[in-house]
Amino acid sequence: MTKIYLPYAGIVLLVGPSNSGKTTLLNRLVNEKSILSSEVISSDQFRVLVSDVEFINWNQRPKDESDVLYDEYFRVSNEAFDTMDFLIGKRCRLNKLTIIDATHLKEDDRERYIRMGKKYHVPVVSIVFNIPEKELLTRDEHRDYPRGKNRIKQQYQQFKRTIRFIKKEGFHRTYILNEEELKNLEMGRQQDSLLVNLGNGIDFIGDIHGCFEEFMELLEKLGYKENIEGYYVHPEGRKILSLGDVMSRGPRSLETLQFFKKHVGMGHAYMIDSNHGWKIARWLDGRSVNLAHGDEKLAAEFEEYENLYGHEASNQLKNEFKELLLAAKSHLIIEKNGVKVAVATHAGIRDHYIGKQSQRISDFCRYGDSDGLDEHGKPIRKDWTIEHQSSQLIIWGHDPKPQPLLVNNTLNIDQGVVFGGRLTAYRFPEKQFVSVEAKRDYANVPDNPLREWERKRLAPPNLGKFINGFSVLTEQIGEVAIYKEGIKSALDDFSHYTLPLEEIIYLPPTMSPTPKPSSLEGYMEHPMEAFEYYQANGVDTMVVEKKHMGSRGILFLFKNKEAAKELIGRESLGAIYTRTGRAFFQKELETQILEVLNKDLAGYFEKYNTDFVLLDAEILPWNLKAKELIMNQYAHVGEMALIDRNKLRAGLQKAYENGQNVGDWLRETEEKIDNAVVFNEVYQKYCWETEGLEGIQIAPFHTLAHSTETFFNKAHTWHMEKNKEFSELSSLFMETEYRVVTDDDSKKAAIQWWEEMTENGHEGFVVKPESFVVRNKGKLLQPAIKVRGRKYLHIIYGIDYLEPENLSRLKKRNASKKQRNALKEFSLGIEAVNRFIKRESLERYHECVLGVLALEAEPIDPRL
Amino acid sequence: MQLLLTVMGTNAEVVSHLLAKNPNNLYERGEKGLTVRLVYPKFSSEEVQVLIYVKPDPIELVKNSPDLYDITHYINDREFAASSIFVSSIRKALGTALNGKPKEEFNAWVGHLFEMELSFGPIATDLRDQEIEALFMPIGYQVEIERSQSFIREKSSARFVKLKGNQTVQMALRHVSILIPVMDNYKHYFIDEREIEKLDRYGEGWLESHPLKAMILKRSLRFQNMISQSKFYEKETNSVKIDEPSKIRLNDLRYEAIINYVKALAKKESIVDLGAGEGKLSVQLGFLDGIKEIISVEPSNKARLRALDRFELAKGKHGFLEPISVTGSLFYFDDRLRNKDVMILCEVIEHINEPRLPKIFETILKDYRPGVLIVTTPNQEYNAVYEMKEEMRHADHRFEWTRKEFKRNCENWSSPFPYQLSYQGIGEEHPIYGHPTQMAIFTRKGDSHS
Repeated sequence: MTKIYLPYAGIVLLVGPSNSGKTTLLNRLVNEKSILSSEVISSDQFRVLVSDVEFINWNQRPKDESDVLYDEYFRVSNEAFDTMDFLIGKRCRLNKLTIIDATHLKEDDRERYIRMGKKYHVPVVSIVFNIPEKELLTRDEHRDYPRGKNRIKQQYQQFKRTIRFIKKEGFHRTYILNEEELKNLEMGRQQDSLLVNLGNGIDFIGDIHGCFEEFMELLEKLGYKENIEGYYVHPEGRKILSLGDVMSRGPRSLETLQFFKKHVGMGHAYMIDSNHGWKIARWLDGRSVNLAHGDEKLAAEFEEYENLYGHEASNQLKNEFKELLLAAKSHLIIEKNGVKVAVATHAGIRDHYIGKQSQRISDFCRYGDSDGLDEHGKPIRKDWTIEHQSSQLIIWGHDPKPQPLLVNNTLNIDQGVVFGGRLTAYRFPEKQFVSVEAKRDYANVPDNPLREWERKRLAPPNLGKFINGFSVLTEQIGEVAIYKEGIKSALDDFSHYTLPLEEIIYLPPTMSPTPKPSSLEGYMEHPMEAFEYYQANGVDTMVVEKKHMGSRGILFLFKNKEAAKELIGRESLGAIYTRTGRAFFQKELETQILEVLNKDLAGYFEKYNTDFVLLDAEILPWNLKAKELIMNQYAHVGEMALIDRNKLRAGLQKAYENGQNVGDWLRETEEKIDNAVVFNEVYQKYCWETEGLEGIQIAPFHTLAHSTETFFNKAHTWHMEKNKEFSELSSLFMETEYRVVTDDDSKKAAIQWWEEMTENGHEGFVVKPESFVVRNKGKLLQPAIKVRGRKYLHIIYGIDYLEPENLSRLKKRNASKKQRNALKEFSLGIEAVNRFIKRESLERYHECVLGVLALEAEPIDPRL
Repeated sequence: MQLLLTVMGTNAEVVSHLLAKNPNNLYERGEKGLTVRLVYPKFSSEEVQVLIYVKPDPIELVKNSPDLYDITHYINDREFAASSIFVSSIRKALGTALNGKPKEEFNAWVGHLFEMELSFGPIATDLRDQEIEALFMPIGYQVEIERSQSFIREKSSARFVKLKGNQTVQMALRHVSILIPVMDNYKHYFIDEREIEKLDRYGEGWLESHPLKAMILKRSLRFQNMISQSKFYEKETNSVKIDEPSKIRLNDLRYEAIINYVKALAKKESIVDLGAGEGKLSVQLGFLDGIKEIISVEPSNKARLRALDRFELAKGKHGFLEPISVTGSLFYFDDRLRNKDVMILCEVIEHINEPRLPKIFETILKDYRPGVLIVTTPNQEYNAVYEMKEEMRHADHRFEWTRKEFKRNCENWSSPFPYQLSYQGIGEEHPIYGHPTQMAIFTRKGDSHS
């Protein structure tokens, strides 16, 4: 009995004259369920599909007729094959198996499919039906549409030539089977060798490059333990997947390779192909290769090994490694519940390569996309990640970056351990990073890629990564998706109105009001709902801060101009910008303020040994733009209301005095005059004249970062102490009043405080959980909730918003989108500062603030 | 929003019949989320006062408007301002008077001139007090204008108008019906065709000879296709256009100079217009021979949409290659812009703060590596010819450079990279101050371009 294994996907050509039993065999295999009927494509079937006739017989016809019939048959066949090939091409694109039932006796026909296989990166296999001529002729006599002796004989002549040369034609495999073999032929199917089941989880490991010590440390951190047989196994049954380049450049390549030889062999680990891996494999295979870029270190290790253990042992090891490396796949696909969720590759992949194998694909996966050589003969790396479209996560290494980099659902986890960086593991599906610092820079090369990265840190961000939508991987809430429409608007802002991109290292999040409107009559918002929100989410201690009547401002203050040059590439004492990244003050005033602050904070920079401080603050009074809004909008509306209602009262009063029954109308008008008076009072609180520095006050309520650390881990009480510290350092800084709420008494006191200040027309206060970042059952909570006063809300919800029939309708507001965006923006803001502190690239921290501004462009009720 | 009509003199009480409103009853009607109320504060044989006012629902008022996501949209004066909303809501209540169709026995009073006062407002208008007076004086009113109290401004923008004159009730109401919306500032997105009919009817007998007829028409109907349908419309023959020949000319000269330069280049298959704005230059480049690709890069979506319209118009014309409009910015790196033959920065750099320029030129010359880079910018020296002092040619210009400054900067930008520099002037040359526009050309060495 003969059994052949068909490839997982690709093209199978059946080769043989008419009557050799191709269709018969396929029918049997379909019946036996070893192939699907949809996998079979036959020329006969397509002739029917395009022309309704299966066969045209021109034999035994006069020449004038037979010629015409022959031409017709030829034309039908051409169309049938065109259609067939189109369909086969589509199946190849989708990585399906297609078995073609036709004679394939002409070399051109066969070559066409070999080319198609190359084009779509799928294997092409041929199965040759070797049946004697006599048998063919006998069978022909018994079939429905006999082809006729002449034709069979003619075909058999062609077949004899075919069988002689077919093995040299470039099929992945050719099976030549005789009558007996065909009769009992069984058809198996190769498994997709690129498929890896997620099982109990996979730990992807970035480029190890012989940093065995760090690798061992990482395995330990991941929870792997050495068992008695010397295998590192995970108690939960997780597996290791190396992204390749396990050797070369570093100190202990042999041990690392030995590790993988051993663990891959036992199924505890996977390892994929890579540029160094491929080169070493060919070297081990005895090919002539130029060992450079750290590959020579591995050769040296082998020499040492041979000196110690002898030639034979060394050769043995070399052979083992060769096998390991040659067997490594260009990429692996991780299947979770039958869905191909992730792809592991070394240097990159194109979407249409996924799941396929070819020389070209292997090269792409080893070296990535390149665009020729630069002036120094180094390959210009092209960014293939931009083109990734699907939601499959592609995990890759090869190109060292200081931090794991998620772009367009591609994740780079090569953090250059051999260059003195880190070795990263990515836990999947948990999506967590675990990393180990390098003991030292082993590679010690002049063009250290991590240093190159630093040199290019402030290079302009790559637009292609953002313009069609992107996602930011944040520590706080994982991926934040940013959509196209918002990006366009944000991009316009960053190109026309904001400060230079380098200087915007943080944008504050939007702030939600109480998630539910007040349950009290006559109140839109009340502190109770804010307290309840936090308490219901397990937060017992809250910090309540008075909301200043100004505008949000970010202060990025440098110790000196040199420090700025190093950090943002420009000499500057600092930047003060609005929550949309625009300059808060006019140039001259900003310069004045920065000079004063620089002098006042000189001691501060010394004391904390920092090159800069980043403050999130409220700046009073409102900035120029807000002031214009007051003048043109609020004052105008307030004055309109007042004169309208006063005039009306006079008229109605007169009518009333003259005996008209307008008591109700009059009372209603009088109430409305009171509303208009309140409205006019409220906006006035925001306006006062300032002259130069006089009258400007800055309340820094968050101290976000110093040179080497961020303060998102500090409690708000700490931030309030810092606020006090700053207010003592400079007269431009002011203190923020606050209370700590822990129990019913302090809650009551806080509510009373709120009532008092808001009755005065003050805006209100902000309730924050004690810690900066708080979660409940893993869910991130609102970082702050604003509670605005009854009077103040007149300028938000309208002059008569408290009228019961208005308030009841206005209370039907929905703050959920505002809350969602607040969390996203909060996470993005933290991410931006953290990235900046870790000296990541401008592109990396800019994507976070670009995200914030894009989210801000989303339509949300502006009254929230 | 309210109107107080006071009629004085004998037979004043006839007014109640002209209005067809009983002086002893309060009038109140709901009208599409608005409440219209009418009362007689005074009713005697010598003096009659009618107060009519409209109370809108402030929450309904702001719904379904295109500015929903703008906070100022919620805090606006529409609830108060005497406007077209006011006029159309009171029309029903005052219909009898406006149409002059009282009960037959009072027909004689329709044409009767009463001594009257009309007090209405508040109005929100960009017209000055004198302009308001000019609307009413020609049709027989004395005008008094009162402003609201203001708290933080010198002068309030809320005004109340009082008119005095001898008028028929019908005409007086028609006057204010037309002229209240004329004064009002509201931006109309759409005007109902019935407005034309209303204007034609209520304008009967006074609008034809009003000296401000054209302005009244314009502000009532807003859109030219509406205005031209009115019976009061007269074709303007003496429209005075203020044009600035020198500046418009300079713009054209600039495009011409760039086009000519590009035309003479040997390699010009691919062109990038950076900061293309509304695509004026890009569209002209589209007509050049030998060009296979024009990328028109602009960050502002609004400007890009205009550019796309412009390209659409030129499409199909003989020999036109449609530029590809892309969202892009000089502050980002864009892979699509690498290795092009020609890059153009036409009147762009002066809109960028100086410290940001070196990085932009590094990106262009090092990463994009165009064969030729063309940069134009104003020559500050030439401002003397325009008799300008410190000021710049455009409010958004961050700087304007002398020829020396421009050269020095170009040299600094190009020196690390293999580019050769040359300069040209554009526009009429002045013996001392040079040309109004200066153009620098960066040519990549080793490329056979010109």
